[in-house]
Amino acid sequence: MFTAALMILVGFLASQQVLAALRQVQDARIRELAQLQIEALSVALGPLVSRNDIWGVYDTLDRASGQNEGQRLVFAAVANAGGAVLAATNPRRAPVDSNIAALTKGAQALDALSVAGKTAEIKVLAPLVYQGREVGQILTEMDVSDLVAARRRVSRWLLIGNAVATFLLAILGYLVMRRILMPVTRVVERMRESADAPEPIAPSDMPAGDSEMAQLARSYNSMVGAIGAKAEADRRLAERERFVSLGRLSSSLAHEINNPLGGLLNAVDTVQKYADRPDVVRESADLLRRGLGHMRDVARATLDLNRLDHTGAVLAAEDFHDLKLLIEPEISRQQQRLGWEVGKITCTLPAAPVRQIALNLLLNASEAAGREGRVSLKAGHSGGRLCLEIADSGPGLSKSACARLLGTEAAVTGSGVGLRLVRDLVNQLKGCVSFDRAGGETIIRVELPC
Amino acid sequence: MLNRRRVLIGAGALTLLPTLSAHAMVPFRLGLTPVFLDNDAEVISRMRAAFSEALGVDVKLEQRRTYEEVTALLLEGSIDAAWLCGYPYLQHKEALSLMAVPVWNGRPLYQSYLIVGTDSTAKGLADLRGGTHAYSDPNSNSGYLVTVSDLVRMGERPETFFGRTIFTYGHRNVVRAVAGGLMQSGSVDGYVWEALAKTEPALTARTKVLTRSEWLGFPPFCGRSDQMGTPRMQAMQQAILGLDKTEKGRAALSLLQLDGMTKAAPSLFDGIAARMRIMETVRP
Repeated sequence: MFTAALMILVGFLASQQVLAALRQVQDARIRELAQLQIEALSVALGPLVSRNDIWGVYDTLDRASGQNEGQRLVFAAVANAGGAVLAATNPRRAPVDSNIAALTKGAQALDALSVAGKTAEIKVLAPLVYQGREVGQILTEMDVSDLVAARRRVSRWLLIGNAVATFLLAILGYLVMRRILMPVTRVVERMRESADAPEPIAPSDMPAGDSEMAQLARSYNSMVGAIGAKAEADRRLAERERFVSLGRLSSSLAHEINNPLGGLLNAVDTVQKYADRPDVVRESADLLRRGLGHMRDVARATLDLNRLDHTGAVLAAEDFHDLKLLIEPEISRQQQRLGWEVGKITCTLPAAPVRQIALNLLLNASEAAGREGRVSLKAGHSGGRLCLEIADSGPGLSKSACARLLGTEAAVTGSGVGLRLVRDLVNQLKGCVSFDRAGGETIIRVELPC
Repeated sequence: MLNRRRVLIGAGALTLLPTLSAHAMVPFRLGLTPVFLDNDAEVISRMRAAFSEALGVDVKLEQRRTYEEVTALLLEGSIDAAWLCGYPYLQHKEALSLMAVPVWNGRPLYQSYLIVGTDSTAKGLADLRGGTHAYSDPNSNSGYLVTVSDLVRMGERPETFFGRTIFTYGHRNVVRAVAGGLMQSGSVDGYVWEALAKTEPALTARTKVLTRSEWLGFPPFCGRSDQMGTPRMQAMQQAILGLDKTEKGRAALSLLQLDGMTKAAPSLFDGIAARMRIMETVRP
């Protein structure tokens, strides 16, 4: 915009210069012509005016003005030294003996003659000198319409030329600017195309040299690399958090497997000892089946949790059964009370992330509740959404834990296992997490659209 | 006796014509004024050709600005003959003789016109008082004498009746001065005005004829009386009178819009003489 205005200004000034030069040339030309004409008339009219020869003056003027068509002299009047008109090319306009002063308004002197303005005729008043004596005055009107028209024509062409040149320069300027800003455009496009994971500019598209644009592109690529590294770090952190929760489970799970093992080994001893007693063997076999079945269930639930990324299974009520199975060892270790209320589950949400969310929240609730505390889970549908409500009798979420669960800023380290993972998983499922405290209980509510 | 001598000389001149032609000696000098012809180069060229052919010797046409100059040249013998006006002829009647008079519209007569611009409301000469007026020549009958004598007849003083008068030294110039608005009225040769009405109708269209004079003797060709008997003058007179007999002569006459030339008695100019007498009453 500024460039265009500058171009127009330059064009305007250049045009003014050209027109001023043209005006000077025209002024010089018309001055020369007027001088020649008046000198020629002076030579012819001098003796006639000096003896007041009216007819002679008229005849001379009439012949001079009627020499050819389209000539410059359109009117001339000659007066004697007293200012009385002797004759004019148009005597009706300047009658004999009238005062020439009535006609000289707006007349220019010969040496300051100018074709300024838009009038088609200019008026010149000059003294009539004969034999070194001023014998009268001559007033001439000259047709300068051709000069005015020429100037108007030049002005018009200058205007058109300037408009065309400005237009072309503006296009050229636009193209040049576009070329200059191409790397910036490329960066913007890259950022727009991949807002989640920006891609680096290909080496082939990198501006050459060490210009500002090349530096910008290199900085952008560095930034993209940093973002990629951070995403990778986040992913590893989430993975680690998942393993942390698994690690925390592992000790209680070891107990869960270890506890029945003593009973099962006793049953095996009983079978060996009382092999001849079919009732004892059958009872021991039942005991073995139940114990091994429980162990199988625990192993399967653990495997399912570990198989987070590989299963495409849809959430079902059995998943909450598995969760209960996984959390119960921890609950019983801390001698806590577990409230479990699971309604009918009918949704198409994937099982793995929901299980992870619930397990992490239950583990945290158990930890917060402390020994002999109270932990509860409520699951059910409400208005097309799956609602999970995990409550505990603990002191409530710390500020940092709250930030990790509800905030959007980068992860901060601190207590509370996998809260950040919970937040990420809920976001992936386009759900929301809320935190409340009521009746001495901390309640974390997760709502997921089905 | 004198008449007989003239006849004999005349007869001798006729017989001498071929001889004169054969000798082709001194060029014949004929005076003209632009008062009447206004420098029409073609007319002058045709007249010269016609006269040279008829006369057998080269004819030089001497032009001067005024009747006075041409009359003076004729009287002093610098020219052999001149196409004058009836007024200067009568002014020098004793020294000059008539050689021939042009015939216009069948008669050797013409009128003086008083002309005004087409926008004029004047009805007659009396209405032009205080205005501007263009005369052609102070020795012209139609371009001066007629108007001033009319004014005298009206009891006016010609030198004060008009506010401003000029002499244009040409009948065509009078028409130009009135047509162009330089002067409000003018005195002009009626023959010239009518001839211009055919050749330059745009010029005369800007004027209108206010009054016409009585018919007066047409401007004649004159020679000095003391030279009229010479073969040279006789031959020239025959050449002038016989213009309509030759092709070149007819071409010249055609351009002049004249029928031919005729002999005329001095009485043809009695009308002009009468006007001169009127003027004599007011001149000291």
